[in-house]
Amino acid sequence: MKKSKLLIIITAVMFFFLLGPFVIIIMSSFSGDAIMKFPPRGFSLQWYRKVLNIEMFRTTFWVSLKIGLAATLTALLLGVPIAYANVRYRYAGKSLVELIFSSPAIVPGLVIGFSLLRFFIYVTQIPIIIGLYLGHTAILFPYTVRVVSASLRNFDMGVEEAAVSLGSSPLHAFFAVVFPNIKSGIAAAFILAFITSFNNVPISLFLTGPGVATLPIQMLIYMEYYYDPTISALSSIIIVLTVLVVQGAERLLGISKYM
Amino acid sequence: MNTLYRKRALLLLLGPGGAFLLFFFLSPLVFVLAESFRDGAGGVTLMRYGEVLQNRQFRLVFVRTLKMALIVTPLAVLFGYPAAYLMTKLAPGKKSILMSLVILPLMTSPVARTFAWIVILGKFGIVNHTLQVLHLTQEPVRLMYTEGAIIVGLLQLFMPIMVLTLASALENVQEEVEEAALSLGSSRIGTFFRIILPLSFEGLIMGVTLVFTGCITAYVTPAILGGARVLTLATLMRQEALVLMNWEAATVIAVIMIGTTLILYNGLRLFKPGNMT
Repeated sequence: MKKSKLLIIITAVMFFFLLGPFVIIIMSSFSGDAIMKFPPRGFSLQWYRKVLNIEMFRTTFWVSLKIGLAATLTALLLGVPIAYANVRYRYAGKSLVELIFSSPAIVPGLVIGFSLLRFFIYVTQIPIIIGLYLGHTAILFPYTVRVVSASLRNFDMGVEEAAVSLGSSPLHAFFAVVFPNIKSGIAAAFILAFITSFNNVPISLFLTGPGVATLPIQMLIYMEYYYDPTISALSSIIIVLTVLVVQGAERLLGISKYM
Repeated sequence: MNTLYRKRALLLLLGPGGAFLLFFFLSPLVFVLAESFRDGAGGVTLMRYGEVLQNRQFRLVFVRTLKMALIVTPLAVLFGYPAAYLMTKLAPGKKSILMSLVILPLMTSPVARTFAWIVILGKFGIVNHTLQVLHLTQEPVRLMYTEGAIIVGLLQLFMPIMVLTLASALENVQEEVEEAALSLGSSRIGTFFRIILPLSFEGLIMGVTLVFTGCITAYVTPAILGGARVLTLATLMRQEALVLMNWEAATVIAVIMIGTTLILYNGLRLFKPGNMT
């Protein structure tokens, strides 16, 4: 099974199928037509102007950004110690702990979102935006724990032990010796987690209320009412930003090895 | 290091994150699970499950969702295996370019990705335009809001996961073993089934599990490409919860969704290469 022709053809078809839609969506975003049509007639930037002029897109973009940052930082703050404990120590019930911290990635997001909504409405009366933040944080745990653990495994813990035995406090040893060596792992975890939060639909779907929605949810709402290339333009902006972030992260941190 | 110190360190490290998940992840799930068995008078009942399971619409949607997952998963293997295999054989430079082309869609908003299929499959989309130019049809054909549209969307959505999982499994297949089989007279097909497949089998099972469960619980793709006309478990659950305000039915569907996912997750792991040959 060296590089046979059939193999190359199947691979080419796969990539065409995977990436073709991206090309098409970018083409359609410059359409001069008033409705979604292909091939688009004329060239215009009207849909980009429209995206920037729709207030709901701007508001929800900021909500997504803030929720993404807050949830990612919380998931890192709580996740790094867990990753550290799992790599550094051997203890009873470790596999159970690992299972628990990876379970938000196994339980369907829709179910997590729904249960948070039910729970919050019944048990507490916390504002919906806080629910959104908590839900996003919960689903980001598996990413931060996994990526930071992988990065910690590449670090020789003996160096830290040496620092401690030479009189450094454990906390100081962590920040002086361990942290500088897992910085890029933490940065990779940050980017992966933030993108995951920013793109999330199933959690946000249920934790949306009057005046509170994330960008993907607002896009879905818009699509129910309008059939024009506005979403093409917005999607193109998101695609280009994603390409820049992912390429940059790959160059600087090599995030693909953490996936 | 003494044990007391270790215990305290572990508690400090695991405690905060553990407490967070306990309060904001596990408790809500247990709450919803318990809710689905409560009868309102303080007793336990399976009545709600009975109601949902006897509902014709639910059964139709459940079977449809499983059917679509059963179509998408083999297709993802069929295209993903050759692609993943070829990628592992490429020079590092070329390989990393293709790798990032696979990762890119995975990192892109599913809403943006799925919207592309409206441009392709819509009334005035590419497929209908092509059909009309070729005079294969007079009127536009309805491609959107069909099971086919959802299947295509799901396949594109989950293909990267299959390719990445298989590629990392195929990394571990040593080229020498493969070459040895070929030089000893094994055919290419034979080498695939006797060497490559068994050695990457765990990756295949992992990929199949992720894609299959992903198809069953995906929301964005059926919401955009199926709408209210072609419901799946996920869109039905959302409709019951947020449109019809039928909390009980939504809760039962949620539990059935978790159950199906967990059964698949654990069930598919039972397949071991040893059991196959």
